[in-house]
Amino acid sequence: MQKEFSIIGKPVALVDAAQKTTGLGKYTDDLSLPGMLVGKILHSPYPHARIRKIDLTRARAVQGVVAIVTGQDAPTSYGILPIGHDEHALVVDKVRYVGDNIACVAATTEAAAENALELIDVEYELLPAWFDPEDSMKAESNLIHENKPHNIEKEYHHVFGDPERGLAEADYVAEARYMANEVTHAAMEPHSTLASFEFDPQTGKQGRLTVWSSTQVPYYLQHKLSLVLDMPMSQIRVIKPLVGGGFGGKSEVIPLEIIAAVAARAAKTPVKITYTREEVFWAHRGRPRTIIDLKTGVKNDGRITAVRARVVQDGGGYCSYGPVTILYSGALLGALYDIPNVQYDGYRVLTNKPACGAMRGHGTVNVRFAFESQLDEICAHLKLDAAAVRRKNLLKPPCVTVNGLRVLSYGLPECIEKVANASQWPVRRGRLGRGRGIGMACSHYVSGAANSIIKSDMPHSTVNIKIDRDGGVVVYTGASEIGQGSDTMTAQIVAEVLGCSMKRVKVIAADTDLTPIDLGSYSSRVTLMSGNAAQRAAEDVRKKIEQAAAKKLNCSQEELVFRGDLIWRRGAELENTGEQLRAQGRIEGQILRESVLQERKEQDARDHLSFEEAVVAAIDFSGTLTGTGSYAPPADARGGKFKGAGVGPSPAYSYSAQVAEVSVDEETGQVTVHKIWAAHDCGRALNPVAVEGQVVGSVWMGLGQALQEEMIWKDGLLMNPGLLEYRSPSSVESPEIETFIVESVDPEGPFGAKEAGEGSLAATIPAIANAIYDAVGIRLREAPFTPERVLAALRAQKSQKKVNMTEGVDPERPVSFREHGGSLCFRGKGPTRHPLDPAVREQSKAEQPSPVGGDD
Amino acid sequence: MALSEFQLFRPKTIQSAVALLAQHKGDIQVLAGGTDLLPSMRQKLFAPKYVLDIRGVEELKRIRVLAGGGLEIGALVTLSQIEDSEFIRRNYPVLRKAAMTIASPILRNMGTIGGNICLDTRCLWYNQSYAWRTSCGFCIKKDGSLCHVAPGGSKCWAVFSGDTPPALLCLGAEIEIAGPGGTRRIALADLYTGLGDTRLKIAKDEMLTRVFIRESMSGYRGAYQKLRVRGSIDYPLAGVAVIVKSSGRHAPVQDAKVAITAVNPSPMLVVGADHALIGRAVDEHIATVVGELAARTAKPLTTSALTPEYRREMIKVFAKRAVLEAAAG
Repeated sequence: MQKEFSIIGKPVALVDAAQKTTGLGKYTDDLSLPGMLVGKILHSPYPHARIRKIDLTRARAVQGVVAIVTGQDAPTSYGILPIGHDEHALVVDKVRYVGDNIACVAATTEAAAENALELIDVEYELLPAWFDPEDSMKAESNLIHENKPHNIEKEYHHVFGDPERGLAEADYVAEARYMANEVTHAAMEPHSTLASFEFDPQTGKQGRLTVWSSTQVPYYLQHKLSLVLDMPMSQIRVIKPLVGGGFGGKSEVIPLEIIAAVAARAAKTPVKITYTREEVFWAHRGRPRTIIDLKTGVKNDGRITAVRARVVQDGGGYCSYGPVTILYSGALLGALYDIPNVQYDGYRVLTNKPACGAMRGHGTVNVRFAFESQLDEICAHLKLDAAAVRRKNLLKPPCVTVNGLRVLSYGLPECIEKVANASQWPVRRGRLGRGRGIGMACSHYVSGAANSIIKSDMPHSTVNIKIDRDGGVVVYTGASEIGQGSDTMTAQIVAEVLGCSMKRVKVIAADTDLTPIDLGSYSSRVTLMSGNAAQRAAEDVRKKIEQAAAKKLNCSQEELVFRGDLIWRRGAELENTGEQLRAQGRIEGQILRESVLQERKEQDARDHLSFEEAVVAAIDFSGTLTGTGSYAPPADARGGKFKGAGVGPSPAYSYSAQVAEVSVDEETGQVTVHKIWAAHDCGRALNPVAVEGQVVGSVWMGLGQALQEEMIWKDGLLMNPGLLEYRSPSSVESPEIETFIVESVDPEGPFGAKEAGEGSLAATIPAIANAIYDAVGIRLREAPFTPERVLAALRAQKSQKKVNMTEGVDPERPVSFREHGGSLCFRGKGPTRHPLDPAVREQSKAEQPSPVGGDD
Repeated sequence: MALSEFQLFRPKTIQSAVALLAQHKGDIQVLAGGTDLLPSMRQKLFAPKYVLDIRGVEELKRIRVLAGGGLEIGALVTLSQIEDSEFIRRNYPVLRKAAMTIASPILRNMGTIGGNICLDTRCLWYNQSYAWRTSCGFCIKKDGSLCHVAPGGSKCWAVFSGDTPPALLCLGAEIEIAGPGGTRRIALADLYTGLGDTRLKIAKDEMLTRVFIRESMSGYRGAYQKLRVRGSIDYPLAGVAVIVKSSGRHAPVQDAKVAITAVNPSPMLVVGADHALIGRAVDEHIATVVGELAARTAKPLTTSALTPEYRREMIKVFAKRAVLEAAAG
């Protein structure tokens, strides 16, 4: 490998930036086919009900309606996890949340489809519903899924080391309950799917299916379509057009993706479904509300002796990635620092709400908020410096953590150093005067899961490269560009290995007919896994070029240098740069002009070749010029053997440290974040500007969860299913974010690279919480830190006249969930709804014990 | 969410606009900037057979300084125009400050002063899709007879969420309403019914055409303070406009007005605030007293995702701050 890179490590614009910014690029909803219909979905108005009857007569009569499908049209269950096949494209027996999918109308216009939805007559048998996870865990009857006793999707109990002894040996034990309310991805592009069947020319029957969809995981979509539609995978083509953000919300098969195909099959013509923003909130798969009971023992010098956590996640009505989420919460809890003794009890609980799933920082974020907050409390109690305590508990890599995670590179110490220096931590912490403060927190994340969710021996990423006589390099990868820079990363790695310019490289991605299998874009796996596969494929094809070039240049393959669109023998003096050579007309690779051929013949033995010349020589020599590469995580990075050990292990981990500076308005409770210093260890920054963008994006998303974003519920009804009331931060309150890239060069990563897209998020929330404590001395244990919560805590601190701003719940000491996070206040019984209202029905069935959660 | 079908009219004059209103009385909806109406139509809060797009009525797009003094603002003047008007900045700063806080720059380029004055009242239980409202149960304001905010009540509490009307109330603005019988002029304060569902005392065949501010109201210092969670985009969760006239920073107040928005079904002048201020030099204590008076006028309920208790507290704080800001000039 060359000492200096020619492509990687330099900031480059993303390869798809221009088509996105000029509007030329096509997202799924931009696509259209002849005869295409609009699909609209009928959603459940009830959180929990059995479906007795669906009558489509009136709806079918609406002009423009071509087909209506229900659960019976695709009764096979599916789910993203093999252990969680509990979903149907359209429900077959009962609905489990407000927004569950009942039927789909395919019609010539959106208006006709919507009119028909209103005329579908559904007879429901209402069932008691479960909204509070801790109530739900006590359920004996009216279970959400009959095969899940007590509505517990999964529970795990892990003990590493001897937590009992660790806590006994501690000089100080901190213990508290933390809560983080539910948030969602809020990707700019709503989900959209276009499905189209071809007709088999032999039989005239419906044949191959093509699906264009806004997905992070084309391969899983192909797999689930095959299952539910009962078609061989080979007959299904999934194409991912441009995707306007995923953040995990498109990392599994979303109902509309299958519904569109089922509707297209019934309508015998293409069907497109695009979710409204409200439907995106119902499809959800976001970060669950989480209760964390956390206990941390430390010695007087800040050395951590043990951690014990009980985590309950409010998972919604279906399994989704639930077991993975609850396992990540435990696996990553004890692996950022060197903690000798860890006990983890995790419960993933079903409730009658939209399913939670994977969201940026999957599983780690809420638990990290609790842990980093508690560490700050410990520092305050023992009068220790928060940076010093973190330094005292560092891992010593290469090592294996107490729960079996292999760590080879560990840039955390340098991350802490960077942000502490830049923020002048030692002289500013605790010294900014009342109302202003700084806080520190750290986080980490996996660079892809070492074990895939579908157990098999297949590689996790595969890449093919084809080079033709035009000198163009075409890379075929299943990795999904979702705005994170996947295509650009692939092009950079290939160009670096082949010593050619980026513009030669064309990346064809995420089309199951063309591109080899890749598990997709989730758990920050693409750079490490797909990047490794791309590097290997490029090295493979380079060997073939080397063979031909070595012959031409009369040297050994080892002596060749590939760089700047040229190939030369190491040591040879190059008179001309690539640009000049091109000007001499030596770029035509396919058919060389007579005059050029003549000129070449007249030349003496040459000491270099242009990239095209070498490519043409290689094709003349060996026929087609292709290369392949694949990546599977190494066996010793795949973790331990205990139940649940499969989740958490990764080939490499990213690390992040942050300092936030905030001020708190003590009259209003409003928190202003002035600046965030964020250092991220990404192994090696292949494209520094993209790394910075990912870190800034993570911090910004963390900022939203810390201060503003919260899904508010009432009887299972989402009160803020829109971007007006679900308040992601606007540019106005986005602080200056200063990023520092730390390069620990991991031996497992391509050129040493690890993940950059998720790891920083988790540190932002506790950094802000700790800064609020530094500013005004209140310890907020319930996120987000909305003005009313902050003000309630401030008033409690000053023992001022109590004003019930948060429904009587102290945000410093949250006890149980309020269904609406305290943001809606009702006197008495709250609103009365129409006669079919579950609450009304509850009253009329007074003999049954009320299982409904909430507090009104 | 599709827009339901409607017929679009694009009149060029007030006369033809009013004639169309009269002809299709009750089935027709006026569209000015469209920033509020179109999302609401998608949510099926309105399903008019006819839409009257008045953006072709050029004479309503002007800000005009009147010969005898004072100011005329056409109903179609955009909020950006208000923000950019040097005359308004110099003479009626409170109006500009309020307009600047509305939504986001892009929406202010489209949204109009007339639209802001006639803005539909808002409620967490009302500004939702048809499917959502089906699931929840329809309320008094639209399609039903329930109130989710004040259960058992028969009054609609949907909250008025315009930012400029409290400023205009302070300035004693008058409005011109055109109807089949010609135009009439009323005080802005008399436009609102105080109820979330009926909202405006304006007949179905009438429309707001102009706003007038007297010259005698120029030269007041002003402030507008708005409670919102985000620094942009959000509707007010509480808003306070204050104008103060005095000969100097520490001089006794000669005249003052305080008005609040987003905590009642209509914008309200705070009764007694002028008495508390006039004749005194503004200090923290007096500002706090005004805050208490404002909180007494405010009736925040569960119409938005911040608790009413918090919003009532904030009316106090924001009124105090607005008084201090206005007094400091």
